[in-house]
Amino acid sequence: MNNILITGAGIVSAIGVGKEETLRSLLEQRSGIRPVHYLKTDHHEFPVGEVQLSNDEMCALLGIDPQAQPTTRTALMGMVALKEALEQSGLTSDMYPSIPLISGTTVGGMDKSEQYYMDFLENDSRNEYIRTHDCGACTEMMADHFGRFRMLTTLSTACSSAANAVITGAELIRAGQADCVVVGGTEGITKFHLNGFASLMILDKDPCRPFDALRAGLNLGEGAAWLVLETEEHARRRGVKPLMRLAGYGNACDAFHQTATSADGEGPYRAMKQALESAGIAPGQVDYINTHGTGTGNNDLTESVAMRRLFGDQVPPFSSTKAFTGHTTSASGTIEAVICMLAMQHGFLPINLRFKDAGEGLTPVHEPTQKALRYVLSNAFGFGGNDSALLFEQIENEKLKIENLQPQRVYLLSAAQISAQEPLCDDWKDNPIHLTEPLTRSREADYKQFIPPLEARRMGRILKRAIATACTAMNDAGVGTPEAIITGTGLGCIENTEIFLDALCRQGEDQMMPTRFMSSTHNTMSSIVAINLHANGYNATYAHNTVSFQSALMDALLQLRRGAVHNAMVCAHDEMTPSYHALLCKGGYLKGKRAAECAVSMMLATGNNGRAICEVAGMRMLYRPTEAEKQQALDELCGGGADIVDGYPDLFGVNYTTPALDLYAAAHLMGDRPVVVRYCDENHYSLILLKPCGDC
Amino acid sequence: MEELILQLKKQIIEVLNLEDVHPEDIDENAPLFGNEGLGLDSIDALELIVLMEKNYGIRLQDPNQGKEIFKSVAVMADYISKNRTK
Repeated sequence: MNNILITGAGIVSAIGVGKEETLRSLLEQRSGIRPVHYLKTDHHEFPVGEVQLSNDEMCALLGIDPQAQPTTRTALMGMVALKEALEQSGLTSDMYPSIPLISGTTVGGMDKSEQYYMDFLENDSRNEYIRTHDCGACTEMMADHFGRFRMLTTLSTACSSAANAVITGAELIRAGQADCVVVGGTEGITKFHLNGFASLMILDKDPCRPFDALRAGLNLGEGAAWLVLETEEHARRRGVKPLMRLAGYGNACDAFHQTATSADGEGPYRAMKQALESAGIAPGQVDYINTHGTGTGNNDLTESVAMRRLFGDQVPPFSSTKAFTGHTTSASGTIEAVICMLAMQHGFLPINLRFKDAGEGLTPVHEPTQKALRYVLSNAFGFGGNDSALLFEQIENEKLKIENLQPQRVYLLSAAQISAQEPLCDDWKDNPIHLTEPLTRSREADYKQFIPPLEARRMGRILKRAIATACTAMNDAGVGTPEAIITGTGLGCIENTEIFLDALCRQGEDQMMPTRFMSSTHNTMSSIVAINLHANGYNATYAHNTVSFQSALMDALLQLRRGAVHNAMVCAHDEMTPSYHALLCKGGYLKGKRAAECAVSMMLATGNNGRAICEVAGMRMLYRPTEAEKQQALDELCGGGADIVDGYPDLFGVNYTTPALDLYAAAHLMGDRPVVVRYCDENHYSLILLKPCGDC
Repeated sequence: MEELILQLKKQIIEVLNLEDVHPEDIDENAPLFGNEGLGLDSIDALELIVLMEKNYGIRLQDPNQGKEIFKSVAVMADYISKNRTK
């Protein structure tokens, strides 16, 4: 793969603000696990890894007046780390409009949502925080503090979110769509997920002991870390010194269970194997593995099994630095990447604190060890079996690698939807229903043929729709199991999330139901579909409000065009509860538009097996573009030779992912001229070019 | 005990959202977990722990304890009758 260099890095976690403090803590073996202090929770029995700064202190560091604008802890930590990364890279704000910024988070603005939930329901005092709930808003808040970036998107694959943000950034560079990208992740501790993890009974009441035979669970942590990735040529032109190289990466799905890991470690094994293969190195060349190593019985066992499968009895030195930082969940991918970088630069193996006895398991690094490191692997696994691995390389070995690619053409083979238009078939074209109600909820999916009762009982409406549309699209496409499953969702399973949040705020932090928490992560649809279709391949979820679907499509096109996969399922799912709808109306976000629910699954492939509906010939995504930039994007994409479609809000209503329904409808309605499906709101602008199959 | 067993079956059906299952369908001596019997999994075990605390005031600290207690409805009822605080 191309030479992708890291030229800036920023980090904040329980063991320090910035790289220097982090390095010192690692070398001096100073753990950041402490009694809970900043989070206002009843659960004092669980130690945590909190960033040792209050929100006000972070505002002061950043020059933000907390009274003047809404802020969330997740966004503030993200900004502190982002500032360090941008400053080190030497990028300046005049360059940002050409640079994509990609974040990973799951919590988003939940810290404020749980604090102000009762106000949302009862008065108007905190309405400005309704909008800061979603993951995309968090990314926008962080980016806007520094300037206007070319495009923003947000991965939300639970605890592998930041690692997947790195992968998407690298894919943009490999495709030649960017010379430089800013990638990272951020996550603050909230009562919501502290109680969720508590309900799953996987929190240790003592400081955690990853890989120890007596390990008893994880400690939640928080923090953020960012990396600036750029091509060698771009870095050279700017005259900046690279810090390390992203040598490879892998993303796979365990496709086993929503919260448990498989006994054979299929997902972790595939992710690590792919990372090595993409770099073209042998297992024996890996000098250190920074494991996911949460400290739960299940994770550490599965990860050990996967390491043994890949490395045999030559498992490289490894450790979990979560004993220092706690489990920083969505941010862990980049936090641990920066830790790997520090280890590489200073030639040491980060120690696995508190390890005493491996029992029958593998023994991690447990004594201070100096070692020159060339290749370092960093694992990040998430609920839903979203497993990723990043491989970094010491920078001394200068060599130019150029990928010579003939981008593949991509076809839309099938698409299934459940929307406000009834029924699922083509009838909406001839007899469309024009929505008149403020909120139209979709019908229940016909799921019984696809989902056994024992599985269906835990699924909310959105999950049943996800599986029903996915199975239909897969069957209609005729290309077998999808090699990649990529979902866009603004809010994920908001119905379950709301029930859990409501119980938390009304009944207090006791006796929370694990089933509700389990499906509250945004990646639930992608992972449930993967489990159902036995799809162990690439798996990702984007949660960036109105460009969630477009981001998923962008990712699919990147994977397909460079031939990493031959087919990909792209999904778009959002539900809408009456109560959440009421909040959106109250916050003034719907502006009289008709809201609806959205469920779409489509199969894309690089070959036309005779079923193609159209070609998906390209796309553009921009954040707050100028008029000139909009025009330029349109000209570049189609040179004016296409009809423009601005969506069908009268038919499908609006929700975060209804642009997927716009694409669905445009593909089915198009004649013999290319069509550009355009989406535009106050922040985001996207264009998707569809070409009729006559041209295919 | 009969009464407790019936009550427990109803609570299990409700909490675990067992669609189309009636109390009489559950054999109180059949295993709750694994492929025989109801086929419940680790998340159900956690829900049963919440059920025990909410309805009977029994607090389990270690999910592994559940393995013994949740063997069958009858075993569960026996444990509850000996340990309940409400």
